[in-house]
Amino acid sequence: MATIQYILKRLALMAVTFFLVMIIIFLLVRLLPGDPAIAIAGDRASDADLAAIRERLGLNQPLVIQFWQFLSNTVQGDLGRSILMRAPVMDVIASRLPTTLFLTTYAVALSVLIAGPLAFVAALNRGRWPDAVIRTVFQVGLSMPVFYIGLILLTFLAAQLRWFPVGGYGDSFVERLYHLFLPSVAVALYTSAIIMRNLRSAIVEVVDAEYVEFARAKGLSAWQILGRHVLRNALISTVTLLGLSIGNLMSGTLVTETVFAVPGVGRLMLEAIFARDYPLIQGLTLTFAVLVSIVFLLTDLIQSALDPRMRLT
Amino acid sequence: MTRKLVAAAAVLTTALTGPALAQDRGGVLNFARYDGSTLIDPIYADRNPDIWMVGSLFDTLLRPSQDGNSVVPGLAESYAVSDVGTTVTLTLREGIKFSDGTPLTGEDVVFSLNRARDADLSPWAGLLGTLDTVANTGNEITLTLSAPDPTILSMLATFTTGVVSKARFEAADGATDQEKSAAIFAAKDAGVGTGPFYLCGFEQGTSMDFCANEHYWRAGADGKPLPYLDGVHFEIIPDDATRILKLQAGEMDAAEFIPFSRVAELEADPKIDMNLFPSTRIIYSPINTRPTRADGSPNPLADARVRQALNYATNKKALIGLVLQGAGKPMTSPLMAAATQLATETDPLYGYDMDKAKALIAEAGLAAGTEITFTTLAGSADDSTIFAALQQMWAPLGIQLKVEQVDNATRGAKNRSGEFDIHTYGWVNDVNDPSQVTGWLGYFPTAKAVGTGWENEKFNSLFEASATEMDADSRAGQYAEMQSIYAEAAPLLFMYETPFAVALSETVSGYVQTPLGNNLFEEASINR
Repeated sequence: MATIQYILKRLALMAVTFFLVMIIIFLLVRLLPGDPAIAIAGDRASDADLAAIRERLGLNQPLVIQFWQFLSNTVQGDLGRSILMRAPVMDVIASRLPTTLFLTTYAVALSVLIAGPLAFVAALNRGRWPDAVIRTVFQVGLSMPVFYIGLILLTFLAAQLRWFPVGGYGDSFVERLYHLFLPSVAVALYTSAIIMRNLRSAIVEVVDAEYVEFARAKGLSAWQILGRHVLRNALISTVTLLGLSIGNLMSGTLVTETVFAVPGVGRLMLEAIFARDYPLIQGLTLTFAVLVSIVFLLTDLIQSALDPRMRLT
Repeated sequence: MTRKLVAAAAVLTTALTGPALAQDRGGVLNFARYDGSTLIDPIYADRNPDIWMVGSLFDTLLRPSQDGNSVVPGLAESYAVSDVGTTVTLTLREGIKFSDGTPLTGEDVVFSLNRARDADLSPWAGLLGTLDTVANTGNEITLTLSAPDPTILSMLATFTTGVVSKARFEAADGATDQEKSAAIFAAKDAGVGTGPFYLCGFEQGTSMDFCANEHYWRAGADGKPLPYLDGVHFEIIPDDATRILKLQAGEMDAAEFIPFSRVAELEADPKIDMNLFPSTRIIYSPINTRPTRADGSPNPLADARVRQALNYATNKKALIGLVLQGAGKPMTSPLMAAATQLATETDPLYGYDMDKAKALIAEAGLAAGTEITFTTLAGSADDSTIFAALQQMWAPLGIQLKVEQVDNATRGAKNRSGEFDIHTYGWVNDVNDPSQVTGWLGYFPTAKAVGTGWENEKFNSLFEASATEMDADSRAGQYAEMQSIYAEAAPLLFMYETPFAVALSETVSGYVQTPLGNNLFEEASINR
């Protein structure tokens, strides 16, 4: 019951957040220099052509009226028409979102798969060479920009060794796993480095804790201790971190999708900004806000399930 | 998708033509593009990624000749212009069919031209500004003009006059013309055009597929109908490095917009056929010539001598070496690429001469340390290189060049409002005639002479007179004079012409990108 109440409260709070996001993005987009009418018609268009386009798109209306229309249409589920793609914003986003979600989920899964075991190896070998090697490698991963990692992976693993395709995203599920492997790795390296570092120190901390000493004294096996105490406790902060880094991951897709020729919403956002496609920028920002809010909510719920001491308020 | 097409194509090719032909036929060409099309309609195509595809789907009455200096028959097998220049009659070829097999009629042509010249529909309507009426009697098309128009034949070879099926268009879903056009685009099936291909697949921002029009009217070298290919599969890969990697990995057969810094490397690759197609693309920098800047301060660039000095002080060959790795040439006409009809080799076009530049600066009395702002595109490596080079080249003139980085939309807005000193710009002709680029760069009423604010009465009246001048020699004379006036006044920093850099796999032959940028796949073939 408390959980449902909590979720409702969070949803109400999310609605307020979205409203604020809408105001901010609406104003920010319009503060950008550059005229969407010119972006549409090109530099060569006559003043009369530009005036006609502004009229058609309602860009000559006062800002308040434009905002009201944006707000009321959005509440009714209408995000307007993309100027660049000449199609409803909802349709454009819907056609590109699954690819980005796939990529992000894949990257999260890979981050966990890469970081999890290595964190354990590093923590249990604290101070010895495996620990040093693992930490150094991840430090390098942390300090390289995603597009650079991407290009290196593409050049060696795809173009030269031909182990993976250079770009594209495949049709079937299996094809997608194959096509999106390199972009996911490129995005995941950064996240996994953060998770690895955090998880490692959490494990170290738990291993040293008195209750683990006590459990060991009781005669529990190493695996029992690991499963019942260490893992569960170390995971709490990692889940939080993972939730927070999903926001990062999504912004990482802006670059990754361009480098790897993956047609997701990240690349779409770049195209929309360059074209001053107001409706599409607004729609995408709102979509990102919704996704990140949902992820944060889920993170909190998982966290409280892992740790009963964290009460949902 | 590609693989399926290839498999289907292989079966089809074997079934239809049997083995061993001198001319390679069949197969799907995989083409990596830098940007995708949003709508391929002769009148709504307004970005180059759209315009450069129109010709593959829609035919025009006339076609540009190979050398780009005249027109040859297209859908019309013959044409004639009346002595006074106000009537054009054209005769359609017999037996032309749309890609779904329905016959092309004179009504389709009338419908298409009326659509193209309707200013409420088409941003390109101005190109047919002199068209008064268009009518047909069977296969005879008659255009009457409100005034003699020396450009009309070139216009009839321009993408915007591509012929669409009237029946097909009117039957499409949608209330407005634009909605109908979008519906046809989304339908991905044959029938709306007579071009060598029809659009058979489309995913917004991802990919696009052309399939061969089996009813296409032109014959190939083997006497059978073109195109040789079964289709073209386009993938949109905005990143330069990735496009090239895809080609090198064999996932793509062609990649366009190769950065010039990579040309030499690809030329050395035996598996790659690196092409530099001649183009009408010019890169130049408009100079603000208004007496005062947007902030009200006096504008040092208002003095023609200062603008001339900047041109003399700019070593264009060095710029070409730095930016294009040598793959370009200095502009020789101030108003157009050398490949454009009526282009002259105009003198002065400011070969490198620092002494002259310094003398002009002294004559103009420009104060040492004068600050000039150079507006560039953020993220453009070319623009950054140009800026760094100009900063050094102009320093001996006592000019402090400062940089301002903006994006494309901002640059357009600044150009229009005159809030700039100098900025980078480029142009590719859409029409096989010099009137369009001349109007853009020099004629004040069109766009304030490319936003520079330069206004010259003599130039304007010559331009207006040339618009109705039917005598080819007189018209050439008018254009020569306009080019001379423009060169002298130097409202631009005249920089260079660049080719279109397209890298092909060695298995591809017959693909051409025209000087106007159009992609021609009809005679392309693949041998793998």
